[in-house]
Amino acid sequence: MELLPFFEWAETSFLGYIGKNYGGVYATFGQSVHLMALAVLGGSVLIADLRLLNIILRDVPSEVVADQAHKWFRIALVVILSSGIFMAAAVAQRMYYNDFFWAKMSALLVGIIFVFAVKRPLLKGRHDEINPIVIKLVAVASILVWFSVAATGRWIGFSG
Amino acid sequence: MINELLLQFSEWLYATGGSRAIEESYYLYNWIETTHVLTIMICLGMLAFIDLRMLGYAMPNVPASTIAARLNVPMMIGFAIMFITGLLLFYAKPVYTNQSIWFRIKMVLLVVAFFNAIRFHRHMKASESTWSHEPRAPLNLRISAALSLGLWAGVVTTGRLIAYDWFHCYRDLPAWLGAAAGCVAE
Repeated sequence: MELLPFFEWAETSFLGYIGKNYGGVYATFGQSVHLMALAVLGGSVLIADLRLLNIILRDVPSEVVADQAHKWFRIALVVILSSGIFMAAAVAQRMYYNDFFWAKMSALLVGIIFVFAVKRPLLKGRHDEINPIVIKLVAVASILVWFSVAATGRWIGFSG
Repeated sequence: MINELLLQFSEWLYATGGSRAIEESYYLYNWIETTHVLTIMICLGMLAFIDLRMLGYAMPNVPASTIAARLNVPMMIGFAIMFITGLLLFYAKPVYTNQSIWFRIKMVLLVVAFFNAIRFHRHMKASESTWSHEPRAPLNLRISAALSLGLWAGVVTTGRLIAYDWFHCYRDLPAWLGAAAGCVAE
């Protein structure tokens, strides 16, 4: 499927127009909000995963930590996706030819599938009924996936 | 006077070998910046959960004192990394950064956030035994928590805006803005 026409259209859309012509709006509502959502999203991932690895909050049940962290993860994900779409629309054609953009999109897709198809269904029940090694592997995989999403995201700006 | 001194200091830093080496290295500079940005997840991620707990929006059934005490350690580790990488970023581009109005506002916000954090901890330690199990902290602590979130949102925003030179000294700026940005007459 040819995606370039979609990226060309995105740049001429209302969001693309705003982002392209109003630098202040792009930098604040796009980039800064994206970073604030990254803080909450990354914080929720780390709090849940470091608890699963028995590094922090060891005196709080991991079920409670994972549930509460997931609640804020979902909120942050909505904000980060919205601000991300806004930012990408303004420079859509440049994104189309940027390898790190596609690396990030791939990592993001893997991250979202991992959270909603693997991690969340697994952690919904009692954690003491799950093999501890599986829990730790899920936590490490989760940290690595979301680190990759954030790092490749930052490197979009460094490459072309 | 202070702007002249800061500019002289920045120019001296700029001329050092380490400063040139960092800025001229594509991978070194960008990885320092990436670390600075990504550590937001550790430092501000933990801080956001502590503040949201005080406001009653996160983990209301876990004692607030437990959340604050346990998340404080990773938050401070994150802050230390952000601080060190932040110093290195300044060291790599001292003249540009010193004359960025956004950097200067960011520093002011950081100082205010620091005093707000001290006030917050002092009040929390003095009273936590009476409310720690409540879903929300007392009003004065909730104000501090909301202020903390607002101040750090400002730190993030002004930090991001340092990359933009809309109000840099080579622009045509009103005198007050030029002075605030650290511009020095040639």
